[in-house]
Amino acid sequence: MSSIAVLRSRRQKKKILFSKVEPYLFILPFLALMAALNLYIYISGVRLAFTDAQGINPGDPIGFENFAELIADKQDFWPAIGRTFLYTFGCLATQIPVALILAVILNSKIFGRLRGSLRASFYVPVLMNTVVAALLFRMMFLRDTGMVNWFLGILGFSEKINWLYEPNLSLLLMIVVSFWQWTGYHMVYLLASLQSINPTIYEVANLDGASPFRTLWQITIPLLRPALTFVSVMSAIGGLMQFEYSFMLFPNAGFGPGMKAMTGIPYIYYHAFRNKFRFGYATAAGWILFLIILAVSLLQIRVIGLGQADNE
Amino acid sequence: MMVLPKPALERKKASWLAEKIREKKIQRGLAIGAMGFIALFYLAPLFWLFDTSFRPKVEIFNVPPRILQAPPWETFRSYSLSSFQVAINRYQMHQGFFNSVLITVGAIILTLLVCSLAAYAFALLKFPGRDIIFYCILATMMLPITTMLAPLFKVIQSYGLYNKHLGLILLYATSAFGVFLLRQYYVRLPLSLIEAAVVDGASKFRIWWWLVLPLGKPVLAALAIYQFRNVWNDFLIPMILLRSENLHTLPIKLQVMDSITIAKDYDAMIATGFIAILIPIIFFLLFQRHFLEGLSGSIKE
Repeated sequence: MSSIAVLRSRRQKKKILFSKVEPYLFILPFLALMAALNLYIYISGVRLAFTDAQGINPGDPIGFENFAELIADKQDFWPAIGRTFLYTFGCLATQIPVALILAVILNSKIFGRLRGSLRASFYVPVLMNTVVAALLFRMMFLRDTGMVNWFLGILGFSEKINWLYEPNLSLLLMIVVSFWQWTGYHMVYLLASLQSINPTIYEVANLDGASPFRTLWQITIPLLRPALTFVSVMSAIGGLMQFEYSFMLFPNAGFGPGMKAMTGIPYIYYHAFRNKFRFGYATAAGWILFLIILAVSLLQIRVIGLGQADNE
Repeated sequence: MMVLPKPALERKKASWLAEKIREKKIQRGLAIGAMGFIALFYLAPLFWLFDTSFRPKVEIFNVPPRILQAPPWETFRSYSLSSFQVAINRYQMHQGFFNSVLITVGAIILTLLVCSLAAYAFALLKFPGRDIIFYCILATMMLPITTMLAPLFKVIQSYGLYNKHLGLILLYATSAFGVFLLRQYYVRLPLSLIEAAVVDGASKFRIWWWLVLPLGKPVLAALAIYQFRNVWNDFLIPMILLRSENLHTLPIKLQVMDSITIAKDYDAMIATGFIAILIPIIFFLLFQRHFLEGLSGSIKE
């Protein structure tokens, strides 16, 4: 009799213990993978950045030498970071305004059922592999056989520009490709936000005789601020992490004429896997870029807030 | 002041109205025409790619494009599949295609399982440290793994996962965005259903498998599509982690074709690019709604 009671209570204890542990079992696969890969990668990144590791050679600890070398490097590293910012700024300054204008136009009632197909056609480049987009535009920008020079010729510019081999134009070309590929992404997001705005606001503005420009400036943009911030931050992070355009837009994977298309991530890749396999040095450069991107992301939290999760 | 007789007044009103309607119609036509033209111009590079992938090598770099040199139907006569043949015979494009499919499908299935399990716990179970762990996972969304290329390579190699598809699939599976997206949906599931299941004595695992997973189909679809786009199009990480040619994905195949410096097979590259973008576009046209929902991170019921 008593032994059964003991057995039962023991079983109950086990059951209670299990119900306490059980929730953790559900998150275990995710956390285990994350710890074994992402977390471990960052931890070994901390160690690696302070060594002179080269390829499979584990290297010796050298303190802050990598960072000192990078910070003193006004020849390659800082120009690459500068280009990263320039490229990112170029993307933001072209894509966000155009995306907003397109979204406002497509939001007007005129388009009716056609809106869906117009939206889709601007969204299709977003689906493309960035490598394919880069190669496609390389062929477009070829001097003698490219469509860009042909088209400019029709418009009356007879001088053929050698786009791909002009160091001063490298960043511009990358901004053009990025514009073509990602404006639709921002446009779709902004359009979705526009459609959630109560239309009576616009009717009132219309009755008051507000011009379209004024409506855009004083009603649409303030109401879209969260969405605009979101797409700007997404675009900025994408720009800072850009790799494929630098690597594939220009012939011979040389990061552009005179390496003038070299930005942050390409710089890391180049030094880790192309040039001298300087793993330690490349990791240190990675940390600097990491901190820059983190700063931009933290700005996002400040402006739109991580607590989004619980607002709804 | 002159007063018009009644019929005349009405006639005037009607003509004024008709005029207005006509004006609106013209405006509408102009707006649609202009936007349609812009959209076509915007997509012109893609049309060129689609057209060129069926052309023989000699016609690829025709200026103006071959299709504009004569009535289009006449130029279609030179259509052939030679580009695809070169891509398959010389570069094993089909292998790249299957590798891409394998990695993408594997990564999507694993992501859905792992993220859904975690999201279920974060949304519907109570346990100490739940919110802290969830916010920690969210915070990892801001950590760009591509800045850590060398450690990534070293870690994957230390697990013996270098030059293996599995290494990539495991890397893709931990999507913090995925957990976030699924949790958002799961917290809004009808609690009464789940409570009823608890009363019936169903275990938490059974509730996840039989209730949460089926009820969350729309959000799973959105996450699957989000992952599909990421994994199918990823380039830098597979390029670092896959050495053997028979393991390469489509974008890597393209890079290999491009790395030939003399007499590049542009026809093979165009054909491979065509296949690489065709699949996402087909999926997009089929599941447009899910695509756009996954993008904005909000699934409507």
